[in-house]
Amino acid sequence: MPSPQFEHLELELLHGGVAPVYVQRALLELREHYADLESDARAAGMSSDEAECTARAMLGSEQTIASVILAHPELRAWSRRWPRAALCLRLALVVATLPEAPVMFCIARGPEIARWTMAVGIATLIVGSLWAYLNFLIMIG
Amino acid sequence: MAQTNPPFMSGVPELLVLRLLADREMYGYEIVKAVRLVTREAIGVGEGVIYPVLHGLEESGALKAKRKAVNGRERVYYTVTAKGQRRLDHLSEEWKRVSSGVNSALGAPEHA
Repeated sequence: MPSPQFEHLELELLHGGVAPVYVQRALLELREHYADLESDARAAGMSSDEAECTARAMLGSEQTIASVILAHPELRAWSRRWPRAALCLRLALVVATLPEAPVMFCIARGPEIARWTMAVGIATLIVGSLWAYLNFLIMIG
Repeated sequence: MAQTNPPFMSGVPELLVLRLLADREMYGYEIVKAVRLVTREAIGVGEGVIYPVLHGLEESGALKAKRKAVNGRERVYYTVTAKGQRRLDHLSEEWKRVSSGVNSALGAPEHA
């Protein structure tokens, strides 16, 4: 039986709005706790399988742990605790960054824009020269 | 008139954790073992639920956590802060008051 990695618990907590930093910390401590329980059970003379079963039983089910964690609102991500404040902040960020978006785009795509400008410039020059030459031919002809 | 007791039963794990950590710093597994020992295994819950209690207390400023590498294992040790000590005093007083009331009721002669 492999050691539990608590994937189900991790997903449930993240979906429940628990702060990811806290989720990682809780998983680290639960894994360590499980390892301690298993090691103590083996030291008490249990077989490998028995030790794993005992460790799982003593730690409690993932559903129970998840429900207890989710009952603590202070462990949730701030955006879940204050959704209106988070929405206002997101809107403010969008409004603040919107006018800068074209400038940022130009900076990010600088080389492509320079190449494109040069190509358009050369094409304009060629077409203009051709047009001037044809006009000149009409005038002298 | 007696005060109301919002932390009556729900505050028991907090009270035990704060009381044990007031003596020395411990990590989760040590705390659970100590709880089992001091309560003579009277309180039996899934051990994994100790972490939300610890993290809740830490979030409220009653505990301080510190990561330490011990024998190749990463442990998170908890200690009681000054705020935690005040909370422990408050919870202890509450518990003594409530248990004295319950003991008095249990020892009282039956109602007519």
